[in-house]
Amino acid sequence: MSSKVQLKTISVNGFLHGVMRHRWAWLVIAVGLMAAMPSFVGMSWVSILCEILILTVAASALNLIIGYTGMISFGPAGLYAVGAYTTALLIVKAGAPFGLAMIAGPVAAIVVSLVMGWFCVRRTAVYFALLTLAFSQLIHIIIFKWYGFTGGDDGIVEIPVPGFLFSIESYYYFALACTVVCLLAMWVIVNSAFGKALQVIRENPGRAEFIGINVRRYQLMAFVIQGFFLGVAGSLLCGFNHNVFPPIADWTESIHMIIACLLGGMFHFFGPFVGSAVYILLDRVVTSFTEYSFLVLGIVIVLLVLFFKGGIAGFVSERLSAGRPKGN
Amino acid sequence: MLLCSPDRVMFKSGERGIYSDMNLQALLMQLLSGLSSGMLIYLIAVGLSLIFGTLKVFNLAHGAIYMLGAYLCVWLTSSFEQIPGMFWWAVILGPFLVALFGGLVEVVLLRRIYGWHFMYEFILTFGLILIISDLVKILWGGGFHSITYPWPLNGTVKVAAGTFPLYNLFLVAVGVSIFFGLRALLRYTRLGKVIRGVTYNREIMSALGENVPAVYTVVFMLGCWLGGLGGALATPLVAVTLGMDTTVIIQCFIVVVIGGLGSLTGAFIGALILGLLDAFGIMVLPQLTIAFGFILMAVILIVRPYGLMGRREYE
Repeated sequence: MSSKVQLKTISVNGFLHGVMRHRWAWLVIAVGLMAAMPSFVGMSWVSILCEILILTVAASALNLIIGYTGMISFGPAGLYAVGAYTTALLIVKAGAPFGLAMIAGPVAAIVVSLVMGWFCVRRTAVYFALLTLAFSQLIHIIIFKWYGFTGGDDGIVEIPVPGFLFSIESYYYFALACTVVCLLAMWVIVNSAFGKALQVIRENPGRAEFIGINVRRYQLMAFVIQGFFLGVAGSLLCGFNHNVFPPIADWTESIHMIIACLLGGMFHFFGPFVGSAVYILLDRVVTSFTEYSFLVLGIVIVLLVLFFKGGIAGFVSERLSAGRPKGN
Repeated sequence: MLLCSPDRVMFKSGERGIYSDMNLQALLMQLLSGLSSGMLIYLIAVGLSLIFGTLKVFNLAHGAIYMLGAYLCVWLTSSFEQIPGMFWWAVILGPFLVALFGGLVEVVLLRRIYGWHFMYEFILTFGLILIISDLVKILWGGGFHSITYPWPLNGTVKVAAGTFPLYNLFLVAVGVSIFFGLRALLRYTRLGKVIRGVTYNREIMSALGENVPAVYTVVFMLGCWLGGLGGALATPLVAVTLGMDTTVIIQCFIVVVIGGLGSLTGAFIGALILGLLDAFGIMVLPQLTIAFGFILMAVILIVRPYGLMGRREYE
């Protein structure tokens, strides 16, 4: 009996090891699969996949700061909304071309995150989290209350997008390309000397300071980088929905991103992707058969925190290290 | 005829004087309404601050606890209408049930994650928000509920030239009594001394033979009782509906940050400041009133993160 269980464990671990050994090959296969998806599934699923991609970019950006730098930001939704609203306003009010507006969104998010981050990185732990929350809520209020400019809670609707991106399928490919580029960029960042320095700060800010890392400056840079990618996610959302509404800046949206991060497993590069996929699929599946989806989602979240602290990716890599011979 | 009507005559007697009288009247009304809304927020926020001070848990679900208190009060009041003064029984019974629920949550869930990174507390308590809001939906549906001002506080009092609801003045009295009651509890009773001891040093209190986990449970229940009481007393003033928790929890954040995380006196002062800021802000810049609280919160966090009355230790 026990030997059977043992065998099964080994084969699962063997499979996972295979995945790890040929990481790049698997990545190409994964992207290929995602690219092939629209020819197998219906439109509604393509739309869900698109949402997953956008949440992946946002959650991965958040992971840069939570998972890699160890600062719990409570205000990603503010920067996300800055990206989305900048794109929307430029297209609708200034008649800017779509491409320019898509670039301006992340740039505006950089500017805002620079101001926000300059204050925030001077605080640690709970105070950092609460300060990011306060800034993010201020952004929410500005969007919500400035009727003349942002449309208040009527939002901005019927944002024109170029014809070749109008269908869900073509927009899906656009979002996929953006996501892959963003993830590659983030991969390069976290594996660079700069990324390693961020991880040193996460592990021990005091020692990081000692070996000559300017902790605040590095934290600010990390904050601005996550701001940029959150802006990208926001702009992508704006182009996908063809409208923007104030709730995307609210603190509950931030929590969704944090949960997507945690669900997949922070401290793992692809954790946020896994988390986003599971979170959105869970949400859709549960909503389709019960009106009490919050209850199910809440219970899943609670169980996750209590029993899968490291998230799904953390669980997988734990299995990996369990199967590895000692001293290897 | 029109010229003879009293207000017309008053206008003739000199516009400037009348204007300042009107302003004084309006200011007084805003002062009272600011005080009463501040005291209501105080009841809720002090529970949050108490829990944070002792357990070091930032309970996001505190707003949901408040909502639960409000729903229980409405449900008890409306289902036992035939009992005279049922509202007051509901105000006593509702928060008590909420405290029991809170105790269950602490023992079953929160106890497992003490000492983990605070992010896990955020996520776990956010999960609780979702669970509680759907439980409320299952039990009482998704509609609006409201109840009228309860007897004998359904009247108004004359304040200068205007009138003010008696119930709101009652809220101020409750807030102030709870403030002094909590101070007395923490200062003079044995339980209060143990709570303060555990807040300062958990290990030493444990070594002295105190049952620290039980103290945690009691403090969490007390915090939930306060939140539930705030919810129950809020029912005549607000629309009891799903989603009433999210605005309140954000206001509680502002209050506890202004006053200092974990400081009970700070929560009182923070609630007063927020209440008055909202009341007077609406006279000056109605559009930006809700922003004032967050601006103040951000400024406090930047300049003095431990708040007006907090200690540096949490930084």
